[in-house]
Amino acid sequence: MKFAIALFSAAHAPSSRRALLFAQAALAGGHQIVRLFFYQDGVFNASDAVVTPQDELDLPKQWRAFISEKQLDGVVCIAAALRRGVLNEEEARRYQRNAASVSAPWELSGLGQLHDAVQDADRLICFGGA
Amino acid sequence: MPKSVLIISRQSPWSGPGAREALDIVLAGGAFDLPIGLLFLDDGVLQLAAGQNAKALQQKDLSANLQALPMFGVEELFYCAESANARGLGKRSLDEAEPLSAEHITALIDRYDQVITL
Amino acid sequence: MSTLHVLSHSPFGDDRLSSCLRLIGSADALLLCGDAVYALQPDSAPFFALQDRTIKVFVLDEDAQARAIDIPDWAEAVDYPAFVELSIHHDKVNSWL
Repeated sequence: MKFAIALFSAAHAPSSRRALLFAQAALAGGHQIVRLFFYQDGVFNASDAVVTPQDELDLPKQWRAFISEKQLDGVVCIAAALRRGVLNEEEARRYQRNAASVSAPWELSGLGQLHDAVQDADRLICFGGA
Repeated sequence: MPKSVLIISRQSPWSGPGAREALDIVLAGGAFDLPIGLLFLDDGVLQLAAGQNAKALQQKDLSANLQALPMFGVEELFYCAESANARGLGKRSLDEAEPLSAEHITALIDRYDQVITL
Repeated sequence: MSTLHVLSHSPFGDDRLSSCLRLIGSADALLLCGDAVYALQPDSAPFFALQDRTIKVFVLDEDAQARAIDIPDWAEAVDYPAFVELSIHHDKVNSWL
């Protein structure tokens, strides 16, 4: 079964951890993840600028490790990211900001990537809110 | 056949970027000629109130974007009749949006391949 | 066609659960996770609202455990692998974000 997983909440929201555990369980169950798409406050999960206290769950770090290890497509909505100050080098240069905080394996791209993933997948699963 | 997606928009227009970002998903789908439906539910029906003034809050006018939906190929527009009644929604913009009862919304969700509720 | 509705907000002071219960179809199921598992607080209005319905109710076990919520016999605890299976068993998943 092919899953598209979309995350709409920041790294500190419980739903972000839920999304990661669902994604891990999906792969462990022999399923495929066609894309992870990060929208609205979900873009904060891709930020290298999040510093989590040492004794707390570091979700941005876990997402990065998960996406790298499993070679997944981790796409951050560019419009949502710009609005929230989550920029990669290219966008930081374009808008002359000294604030790049997103790097590979993350990619910034448009909302079309969400629709594209939905078309490719058997199921879209969204996580967000509380 | 492309998969159809129903977006259920539940946020009031002035509670942050939520309503606009839900609409952006709809517009992006329309731009790709995908079968997209939009249902306004709960506080989302307040996006349809006539005579709103975005300038009063230095915001962009969401109503104008809603009016443009049919031009973007999004013609499946609905709102929850019960949510509208509960909120005393009187004069509406977006005449194209069709009121639906709870039973019809159940059937609507059934009809679409995937659903996103924001 | 059936839908798995996923709720994660507390039912107290929020209308997601009541809206969901208005729209949910007879073949659909409900998965409570996060603060939505507070809907299973004994003797609460959401508890009775769910108990009175014939829809299938699933609960993310870790969230019930964390909140010291006992799972009634009309609901079923699931872990993440079971959550994945539920999402496959139903034709679509509607998360009330």
